[in-house]
Amino acid sequence: MNEQAQQIIGYILKEVVRRPSVEIHEDTPLVSSGLIDSLELVNILVKLEDVTHMRIPAAKVQPKDMDTVNLMFATAQRLGRPRK
Amino acid sequence: MTAPKHCTLIQALFAAPPEKPFITEWNDEDDIRAVTFGESIRLAKLQAAEFLAQGLLAGDRIILIMPQGIPLMTAFAGAMMLGAVPAILAYPNFKADPDKYAAGLAGVTQNLKARFVIVDEEFPTELSTRIAMADGARLVPSPIPSLGSAEPSLPALSLEPHGLAFIQHSAGTTGLQKGVALSHGAVLTQLHHLATALNVGDQDRIYSWLPLYHDMGLIACFMLPLAYHVPIVMQSPIAWVVRPGVMLQLISAFHCTLAWLPNFAFQFLARRVRAEDRGSYDLSSLRSLVNCSEPVRAQSIDEFLSTYEICGLPSDVVKTSYAMAENVFAITQSPVDGAPRRIWVDGQQLWNDGRVVPVTDKADKSICFVSSGRCIDGNQARIVCADGTNLPEDRVGEIMIRSDSLFGGYYNRPDLTAQAFQDDWYWSGDLGFFHDGELYVIGRKKDLIIVAGKNIYPQDIEEIVWNHPAIHDGRAVAFGLYNPDLGTEDILVVAEVEQEEQLKDSVEIERAIRNAIVAELDVSPRAIYLKPPRWVVKSTAGKPARSTTREKLLAEYPELNRD
Repeated sequence: MNEQAQQIIGYILKEVVRRPSVEIHEDTPLVSSGLIDSLELVNILVKLEDVTHMRIPAAKVQPKDMDTVNLMFATAQRLGRPRK
Repeated sequence: MTAPKHCTLIQALFAAPPEKPFITEWNDEDDIRAVTFGESIRLAKLQAAEFLAQGLLAGDRIILIMPQGIPLMTAFAGAMMLGAVPAILAYPNFKADPDKYAAGLAGVTQNLKARFVIVDEEFPTELSTRIAMADGARLVPSPIPSLGSAEPSLPALSLEPHGLAFIQHSAGTTGLQKGVALSHGAVLTQLHHLATALNVGDQDRIYSWLPLYHDMGLIACFMLPLAYHVPIVMQSPIAWVVRPGVMLQLISAFHCTLAWLPNFAFQFLARRVRAEDRGSYDLSSLRSLVNCSEPVRAQSIDEFLSTYEICGLPSDVVKTSYAMAENVFAITQSPVDGAPRRIWVDGQQLWNDGRVVPVTDKADKSICFVSSGRCIDGNQARIVCADGTNLPEDRVGEIMIRSDSLFGGYYNRPDLTAQAFQDDWYWSGDLGFFHDGELYVIGRKKDLIIVAGKNIYPQDIEEIVWNHPAIHDGRAVAFGLYNPDLGTEDILVVAEVEQEEQLKDSVEIERAIRNAIVAELDVSPRAIYLKPPRWVVKSTAGKPARSTTREKLLAEYPELNRD
């Protein structure tokens, strides 16, 4: 796992899921499994922007594009623009 | 009391100034679509001609399942132009379980005896191919007409004020939703009272992200603009959730004056918009932000106001309203001049004896309630005990309502209708009290859970939990618990496993239950507690007792009590 993915997973576990019994990998479904609610996506998206140093146009992001950590990075790659 | 100016919603729409802006739909910074009233009438007529060619007749029920936006809104108006009766259902998201979704839709088409289900071209094929509909119903992909097409001529139809305008749905899972059928007359009467209470005028512009399958979105943010010719600036709910700051940008850029929001949204906006972005908003154009559709919390309002004070937000901008689909929309509205009143009451006397005893805000165990205002014209509310006897001011009881816009009954459900009425008074199922002539709503009589403005019946969750093979049939309880960090309720679930040794698989069981709840209800429980057999408290009738099980769980996990 690369360092960026570790940062996002660490953030989700510590700030969003907050349950010690839960394990998350890059391909663990998060929204569709109910582990995180769509109301949490705003903070995760902000974290993703910080980690990738990108600006991601939120209106083009669907919850399905954020369902796993791998999908989050694919979304950042597809939609993100380098931060000024 | 004056009367509405128009007899039907379509007549009201046709009276709009054609050049006036109507809908501005924000999809992204580089994708903003806008239509005037004239253009939207033209698009609605094109949709109507398309429906007519498909065989839609006056009186037919037509279900619209399309993404939020101009095509959905013009299809809705187009169906009404033909005298057909549209109903909007939520667009499925990627979490939906195809089988459950298909079964739910079959239930709705059956109940409405709908002849058409209109879906957009991007409707997921894995769902459309599995949809089993009631006899005689057809699934039709909606072609989106373009503004360039020639305006069709439609047959002359005389719509009647007492004819059905549309059906909006009340709480419940898709298949069991109760359809509230409303006439043009009832809707226009409600809008007239609402527009009067809010002093709606030419200078107004509404902002909304609210879903159109919900009364607050459909009535306040679509029918009110349509009938009173108020421009509306809108986003989809998901666009708002992912980047809530855009709402504040749009209000600033378009000088919006009115918006409706559920309570949690005030807190969400205060906490989830980047602090560094706040300086760029100018919210001074807003004159009323109406907190409606879930219990109003003073803390959420105060947090929002203090966060956005620097953006020119008027300090009394947040208003309150008590509303429900069965009444078309609002029963009460707090005054447009000034902030809604607040009262601090003795918590012990309130919860133990149902008595409202005002105390100071510093008093021990005091609880603050925010008034929902007085009844708007044509609406009455009274507080009653279980047998329907009136209670005086400062006594807690069920709220009953009567109005000149109240629905006649649930569509095709005389059984539910009979339970909902006592003479011409409607049992709201909400608990509240009157103080100095103003209504204070304190919660639900039944254990309805309200999550971010969405009504969830605990039994719908419990049934899903029971269906897991490891859970003892019938031994699960779901309830809502207010989360002060979110400004809305969290869902908690407690369930018994069949055999105590199954608790070693609790991570896996919890995951499966969580998946099933999300797939069916599109909500995620905050926590699922799995317990050994005989943990859930049963009532004398042998059924799980929700309130005592809730107390037991909260006693075992005191950290859950944060209110």
